[in-house]
Amino acid sequence: MTLEEFRKEIEKLKSSRKYLYNGSYILPALWIAEKNFSAITPEIMRTIADVLGVRLIEVEEAAEFYAMFHTKPKGKYIIRVCTNLSCMLRGGEEILEKFCDLLGISPGETTEDGLFTIEAFECMGLCDGAPAVTVNEERFLNVTPEEVPKILKKFGWKGK
Amino acid sequence: MEKLLLRNVDKENSHTIEAYLRSGGYSALRKVLKEMTPEDVIEEVKRSGLRGRGGAGFPTGMKWEFAAADLKEPKYMVCNADEGEPCTFKDRIIIEKDPHSMIEGMIIGAYATGCRYGYIYIRGEYPIGRKILERAIAESYDKGFLGENILGTDFSFDLYVHSGAGAYICGEETALINSLEGRRGEPRIKPPFPVNAGYLWNPTVVNNVETLANVPLIIERGGEWYASIGSPDCPGPKLFPVSGKVKRPGVYELPMGTPLSEIIYEHAGGIINDRKLKLVFPGGASSSCLTADEIDVPMDFPSLAKAGTMLGSGAIMVLDETDCVVRAALRLIEFFRHESCGKCTPCREGTDWLVRIMRRIENGQAGEEDLDVILSISETMENSFCGLGMAAHNPVASTVKKFRDEYLEHIRLGRCPFRSS
Ligand SMILES: Cc1cc2nc3c(=O)[nH]c(=O)nc-3n(C[C@H](O)[C@H](O)[C@H](O)COP(=O)(O)O)c2cc1C
Ligand code: SF4
Ligand code: FES
Repeated sequence: MTLEEFRKEIEKLKSSRKYLYNGSYILPALWIAEKNFSAITPEIMRTIADVLGVRLIEVEEAAEFYAMFHTKPKGKYIIRVCTNLSCMLRGGEEILEKFCDLLGISPGETTEDGLFTIEAFECMGLCDGAPAVTVNEERFLNVTPEEVPKILKKFGWKGK
Repeated sequence: MEKLLLRNVDKENSHTIEAYLRSGGYSALRKVLKEMTPEDVIEEVKRSGLRGRGGAGFPTGMKWEFAAADLKEPKYMVCNADEGEPCTFKDRIIIEKDPHSMIEGMIIGAYATGCRYGYIYIRGEYPIGRKILERAIAESYDKGFLGENILGTDFSFDLYVHSGAGAYICGEETALINSLEGRRGEPRIKPPFPVNAGYLWNPTVVNNVETLANVPLIIERGGEWYASIGSPDCPGPKLFPVSGKVKRPGVYELPMGTPLSEIIYEHAGGIINDRKLKLVFPGGASSSCLTADEIDVPMDFPSLAKAGTMLGSGAIMVLDETDCVVRAALRLIEFFRHESCGKCTPCREGTDWLVRIMRRIENGQAGEEDLDVILSISETMENSFCGLGMAAHNPVASTVKKFRDEYLEHIRLGRCPFRSS
């Protein structure tokens, strides 16, 4: 998405009249940015502030506060490995370690080819399938370390 | 027991409006709009004794009465679908498998309280749920259950989905409202309560997903019928998400007041490999733990309060004899440190210090006096600004009190006794 296309999207969002207050469009606008760009850059935030008629600082605050918005470049696929209690009790930390080992990165980092970002994540409400992993919007439940390479390959990982 | 809240979830395409209508869906809304005044609806909900399922257990009928009494316009109806409490996944089942039941409950609530606009605030981690809800709302508009002049009456209500973006604190109702306004999710001072000054400082009803899913049932079968289910002072069916070391993790619908031991051993199949149960967090990650001797307690708001803990979201987390208590409590306080919004000192600093001390204990670098420091920090955190800080210390403080020997063993050995090396 180009910045110009993005601006049009935000204008469209604003004309939906979903809210009676322009500030309420900030999170939906940031979601559009999150989905269409590798990072929510200052330019993107300026565009949002501009179209919505809110102060830049309001957009920046929201972009920084919420864990699912990336202001630094992220990979095409975000692998979220839950390490909260129920997943921890059922081996979530080993799953995280396995992903990191195979990709050669630490939690929070992105592979050099820009394909994967790995995140040690909090509970995703999938605890009946602990340990749980999501890749973008896809879920993987009751994951075993042996399954980790298979999951990666599904998303174009070239290792073995 | 007859399945009530989960009556539809196993049916094919249960998330579609066709399936919902086939099983009698939206007949409660028709009844409300044809036969009942807003006051009648509130009376019926009051008669049912329904208490909020989001954690605080506030009587729903009373909340609606307060909102209805406020004359400021427009009013807003907000469904709290943030479900951020660790190991809670009950609302997810309704959102994904029976979204129309909560939407119908919301429309009825809006009619009763006079709300013109509604928002479902769903956590960012539920993208599948968000799509299902958006589709369900569109279906509901198509059939004339949403929009202007619903079913030919002069009642109009518009409903939208608003997606959070990964912040547990946004489940707290005033933080949620700030987030709905595009701000950081920091709680606001109460009073004024949202029913008088919520979204855009207008009257706003905030109700949990499960709470709202109860409403069509109450209207269809009557408040009196509902009040006869489960615990007398806290009636109705309840969804219990059970996870951790049980054989069959999952969401179980049972009457309020079902004994915790029955849920764990009969419904969730008991402990993996028939090991011994060590401890249970009976009401989510911010509840105080119960030991194996304490699990005969009825699962409802008053009984758990009497047992020194709380029902909270009703999430039951089970640890067995091979699990380290210190490590479990450490993981939960790490969560709260991460999610503390930083607005007030007891919580921001308290969660940080508890993490540091708990890490020292788990790594065997602590002294016995650290346990007293934990308890004193925990006491200070009671004075936090919102419920997050007020409860975050519970898993740590309660395990220090009830499993002191295991803490002391870490200190004496200079390492975690549950780790091989
Ligand atoms: C830290 C914190 C987190 C909360 N998280 C949620 C949540 O995820 N979902 C929810 O429904 N209520 C949550 N609540 C409770 C809400 O503040 C509020 O009481 C509830 O949504 C009201 O709805 P109810 O009356 O139907 O329960 C939370 C409260 C606190 C203090
Ligand atoms: S208790 Fe914690 S989450 Fe609540 S306002 Fe204070 S710092 Fe924020
Ligand atoms: S604890 Fe991992 S999904 Fe809930």
